[in-house]
Amino acid sequence: MRSLDESKEILYVIRTLDVLMGSGVGLEAAIHSIAQGGYGVISKDFGELMKNINKGNQMERELRGLLKKADTDGYKRVINTMLNNVTQNTDIIETLRKQGERMEETRTDNVKEYIEELGGVPETLLSIGMIGPIILAILGIAPQLMADSAELFGEMNQSTIMSIVNAGLFLTVAGMALIGLKAHTKDPGL
Amino acid sequence: MLYSILEMFRNEPFLLFLITIGIACAVGGIPPIIERQRRRSIENDLPAMLEALSDSLGAGLGLQQAMMAEADRNTGTLGKMLRETLAESHASSFDSALASFAAKSRSSQVQRVMHLISTAIEQDAPLKDILSNMSRDYERLNDLMNRRESDLMGRAILIVMFVSIGLPFLIAFIVGLFAPRNQGFQLEDFNSSFTMFFGAASLVAIGVSGRMLGRMRSYAWWAPLWMAVSMTIYHVGVLVIGG
Repeated sequence: MRSLDESKEILYVIRTLDVLMGSGVGLEAAIHSIAQGGYGVISKDFGELMKNINKGNQMERELRGLLKKADTDGYKRVINTMLNNVTQNTDIIETLRKQGERMEETRTDNVKEYIEELGGVPETLLSIGMIGPIILAILGIAPQLMADSAELFGEMNQSTIMSIVNAGLFLTVAGMALIGLKAHTKDPGL
Repeated sequence: MLYSILEMFRNEPFLLFLITIGIACAVGGIPPIIERQRRRSIENDLPAMLEALSDSLGAGLGLQQAMMAEADRNTGTLGKMLRETLAESHASSFDSALASFAAKSRSSQVQRVMHLISTAIEQDAPLKDILSNMSRDYERLNDLMNRRESDLMGRAILIVMFVSIGLPFLIAFIVGLFAPRNQGFQLEDFNSSFTMFFGAASLVAIGVSGRMLGRMRSYAWWAPLWMAVSMTIYHVGVLVIGG
C-alpha cells in the first residue's frame, strides 16, 4: 500500500517542490509546505522529518533515515536529490524537473503495460472459474448418476466425493482471487 | 405464482438476507456513480481551463479577471462552479474562494491545482508558466485515466457477466439436466456448496473488476447484489430445470 501511495503522490510532490523552490523558497520551507498535507504518505513522512528537525536533528541525517524508509525508486531519487542539495549544494530545481519528466514517461509506460498485462486476466479467470466448477459439478453428481454401475466403477461414497468437491470449489475461488490479485499488485497508481 | 416463487427460497434464509442487503446496497451504490461522473467531467475540463488561464495571463490579465473570462466561456460543470466561486469571492477573499472552489469540486486534481495556484500566488512565482505546465501534466494524466477506463471497462464487465450470470446458469443447466430433483436425486449438500461458491466467485469477480478500473470501493456497494443474483440464478435454475 505504501509503495502505491508513494508512486501516486511523488509526481505532484515534485511539481510542488518545483513551483516553490523555483520561486525562491528554501528546501526546508518547501518540505514544511508539503508536510502540511495533501500528499498522502509523503506528507506524513515530511511531517515527521520536520518534527525531528525542530527537535534539533540534522536535516542530512533525517533525509538519510527517510531514504531507508522509501519504497519506490522515484521517491528514493527525490530524497537523494534533496540530500545532494543539502550536502553538495547542487541545482535541485533542474534535477527535479528532469526527474518529473522521466517519472511521467515511466508512468505512461506503466499504464500501457498494466493494460496489456490485464488483457489476459479475464480469459485466465474465466478458464479456471468455468472449468473447475464444471468438472466438480460432474464429480459431485457422479455417485448418484452411476449408482447402478457400482461393479464397473466401484462404490463411490457421496460424503467423500462432497469433501473433494468442497475442497475443489474452495481452491477454485482461491485461484480466482490469486489471478485477480495481479490487478492490485501491478496497479500503476494513477 | 408469487407464492410458488417465494416457496423456492423457503430453505434459503441466507440467500433471502443477501437479496435484501443487495438491494439496499445497490441503492447506496448509485450516488458514487453519479459523483464519479460529475468529478470526471470536472477533471476532464481542467486542462483546458488551465491552458485558457495561462493564455489570459500571458495576454496581461490578472488571475481573477482570467477566471471571470473562463467562467463566461465554460458551459460545463467546471464553468458553473467557477461562476459560483467568483460570485462568492466578492463577499470573501479570493484565496478563500479558491479554497472553497477546491473543496466543492471534491476532486483531488482540482484541490492540488488550487493549492499550487495559492502557493504560487503567495510566493510570487511565474503563474503563466506554472498553469501551462500543469495543463500539460493534467491532460496527460486524464488521457491515461480515460484510456485505462475505456480499455479495461469491457474486460471488467465480461468478468462479472460470465462469473455471476453465465457460470451459475451453465452449472444449473448441467445439474438440472443430468440430476433432476423430480427423478429422486438428493443434492441438498451439493447445491448448498455450489450456491455458496457462486456467491464467493461473484465477490471475487466484483473485486477484480473494481480493482482493474481503480474504483474498488464504489464497486463494493454492488457486491452483495451480484452475489445474490449469482446464487439466485443457480438456485432457481436447478429447481426450474430439474423440476
